[in-house]
Amino acid sequence: MLSIELAVTATLALGMLLVLLPGMIDLSVGSGVGLIGGIASVLVFEHQIPAPLAMGVGFAFAILVWSLMGKLIVRQRIPAFIITLGGLLVFKGAFWLVIHNSTIPVSEGNATNIYALLTTYYLPAWGGYLLLVVIGALFVLAQVRARRQRREHGFAVEDSEVGFLKAFVGLQGLLLFAIVMNGFRGIPLSVVILGVVALLVYVVTQHTPFGRYLYAIGDNEEAAALSGIPIQKVVIGAYALLGGVVALTGFMQTAYAGASTTTVGDLMELDAIAACVIGGTSLKGGRGTVMGVLFGALIMTSLLNGMTLLAVAPEMKYMARGVVLILAVWMDVAVAKK
Amino acid sequence: MSLTRTGNDAMSERVLEVRGLSKRFPGVIALDAVSFDLMAGEVHGLCGENGAGKSTLIKVLSGIHASGSYEGQVLVGGQPVAFRSIADAEAAGIAVIYQELALIGAMTVAENVFLGAEPRRGALIDWHKMYADTRELLRDYDLTLDPTARVADLGVGQQQLVEIVKALAKNSKILLLDEPTAALTETEVERLLHIVGGLRQRGITCVYISHKLDEVLEIADRITVLRDGEGVCTLAAGETGKDEVIRHMVGREIVDFYPRERIEPGAPLLKVEGLSVAAEGVEVLRNISFEVRAGEVLGLGGLMGAGRSELLLHILGGYGQRIGGVVQVNGRALSGHTPADAIAEGLVLVSEDRKRYGLFLEKSIGFNLSLSSLGQFATHLLIDQNGEIRRNQIFFDSLGIRANGQETVVGSLSGGNQQKVVLGKALMTEPQVILLDEPTRGIDVGAKVEVYQLVNHLTAEGKAVVLVSSELPELMGMSDRMVILSSGQVGGRFDRQDASQERILAAAMAHN
Repeated sequence: MLSIELAVTATLALGMLLVLLPGMIDLSVGSGVGLIGGIASVLVFEHQIPAPLAMGVGFAFAILVWSLMGKLIVRQRIPAFIITLGGLLVFKGAFWLVIHNSTIPVSEGNATNIYALLTTYYLPAWGGYLLLVVIGALFVLAQVRARRQRREHGFAVEDSEVGFLKAFVGLQGLLLFAIVMNGFRGIPLSVVILGVVALLVYVVTQHTPFGRYLYAIGDNEEAAALSGIPIQKVVIGAYALLGGVVALTGFMQTAYAGASTTTVGDLMELDAIAACVIGGTSLKGGRGTVMGVLFGALIMTSLLNGMTLLAVAPEMKYMARGVVLILAVWMDVAVAKK
Repeated sequence: MSLTRTGNDAMSERVLEVRGLSKRFPGVIALDAVSFDLMAGEVHGLCGENGAGKSTLIKVLSGIHASGSYEGQVLVGGQPVAFRSIADAEAAGIAVIYQELALIGAMTVAENVFLGAEPRRGALIDWHKMYADTRELLRDYDLTLDPTARVADLGVGQQQLVEIVKALAKNSKILLLDEPTAALTETEVERLLHIVGGLRQRGITCVYISHKLDEVLEIADRITVLRDGEGVCTLAAGETGKDEVIRHMVGREIVDFYPRERIEPGAPLLKVEGLSVAAEGVEVLRNISFEVRAGEVLGLGGLMGAGRSELLLHILGGYGQRIGGVVQVNGRALSGHTPADAIAEGLVLVSEDRKRYGLFLEKSIGFNLSLSSLGQFATHLLIDQNGEIRRNQIFFDSLGIRANGQETVVGSLSGGNQQKVVLGKALMTEPQVILLDEPTRGIDVGAKVEVYQLVNHLTAEGKAVVLVSSELPELMGMSDRMVILSSGQVGGRFDRQDASQERILAAAMAHN
């Protein structure tokens, strides 16, 4: 179950990274997760709309709403903190309205659909291994290419043995993960979704002008403007992408719960922010990586999952979450000082 | 001016001495067995190119580099001292006035002066005493500042004075002034020098660090020159000259300081006609007209606050609302545009404040260089990183940026090299018109000449340059023509041959 919870938290945190990089924040994603998941559930369960279409509607709606929030932030110059804090409350209310304070399953009766499968489908063993081989090959290929390019441009290249060891250890880790997962029920679909999202966010942040602009705005907004960066467009774009991620997380989290209930998504915004910050993302903007966020999400989920397994009382769990959040931000401040 | 260097009895007493001071950073020796001393009541000039070790020396003396992190001895009043923090240094009477002002803009002059040492009555701040004391302190130094004025509303020159008063309020005996005039106009500089001269009479010792050698020669009693972390020599200011100091600083003679190569101008590339601009409802620029031709350098002069930077920012699309007039780049009118639009039209600005408006300090040189030009490398949305690195390397090499490579973080570079990075970022956009706002502020002599040569190179390629400078010799030396602004209007126009410092200053004050 850890892997599914990790997938949900990490996916949302990766979306959060996109708005933290330009120095913004979003406190509304937790409520958003509930609302978008709820809309899709209601469409499927009460209006008998096919699951893919219902999810498509949720997607489009989320992207639209988050672009609007982005617009309010950059055009009207209202701080992101306030806009999204308002969003947190508005979406929460809208969510309860949509599901009329009841429980709406993600699929009818015993029938299954793609919505429910998001967190209940597991790759068959051969599929898991196949995926592993493909990822491993792509990874090694990318490393070899990067090394060749660095050498061409006269940059320092790490020792080939070190590089080999790194790849070897990394692949061993993946293999171990696949074996453990296959010993259980196989690699969950949600983990594959996380992998795809992580890859996309990585490419966007590291290999596109848009991604560069996110870092630049977070580092020095005034200089970014005079450097010809269309700040408004970039920030709105970041929120739109986050909207898409919120929708995806909403579907996964709701599917994981089995139904839309009033508590779905509660406090997820804080877990997402904590995961980012633990992973080295700066709340001031300009600093943060996909690998860091994944690592932060792993710590965050292990902690929560571990406490559940140890049957820690909910009172303690809340307090532990709070302490971890404060520690994470304290770490961010300490790093910034250095 | 009455900046006499004579008539001071206190000068015999040695207030501070540095013996064999060495400071190492990983891979660099910032200071190498430097020795120098300060006499009571003297103004001691400290000269050297960027990276010569001036800042490091200041940081040791002010307690930022704690005792133990360097070798050698520091003696105050004959006693060895070991500062572990800025507070220790302040307690010993040493205060630093930094290049970047350390004032709180939202607070009043008095609040800033007494920040951290507020006079109290019980647990509460004694506001009356604070304002009364500040007024007295200001009167003491013949300053006409209002203690209740908000610091953000003051000019840079006045803010500098507040910094000095703040240091004096702490009973500092030694003031370290780090590039105090970098952002000041000629008149403000005069006033500051006058005040520094006045401190001498009160037995307060000033260390005066500046790239502006004329000022140092005018104000200092003695001048110590640093080069590559070594104390080269200490000269008596009255017996030396600019050429000798420069020779010691660079270790070679700079013959032609302003190597402007004039060429026959071509078609007009930037045209401004009857431009009036308002910011927050107030008219800041009124009826400004000029044009710049291909191959030409237009100097834009004027006092601080005359609207030079605002004019450039408005042309780029980053400031104010247009009330009237036309801005044309290459024959195309620009109005209501963003900096991104302007850059697409071949216009680019290098701001006067490179740290605030130009650089991404936490990022690498390569990140900074290509940031405005990523469109050139984006194929199918993705950045062609090979092409980017190759193009970055061309600019890195041709600008002569001194760093390990383009992966070096910009924040760790010296001022001159940072300026080259900002210039490189601007030039990579392949502009037709380059707006340079104080391009040589706070950079060393060698780097200045490199900037001038770059300007020559650009005009030789048929680009147009607008150069804003507060240093009159630079403005006159590098411009083909000059437009002088005065309170947001054109105060005068000169060709290179019929400009003089006096005429330019008169034009700058034409509308005051």
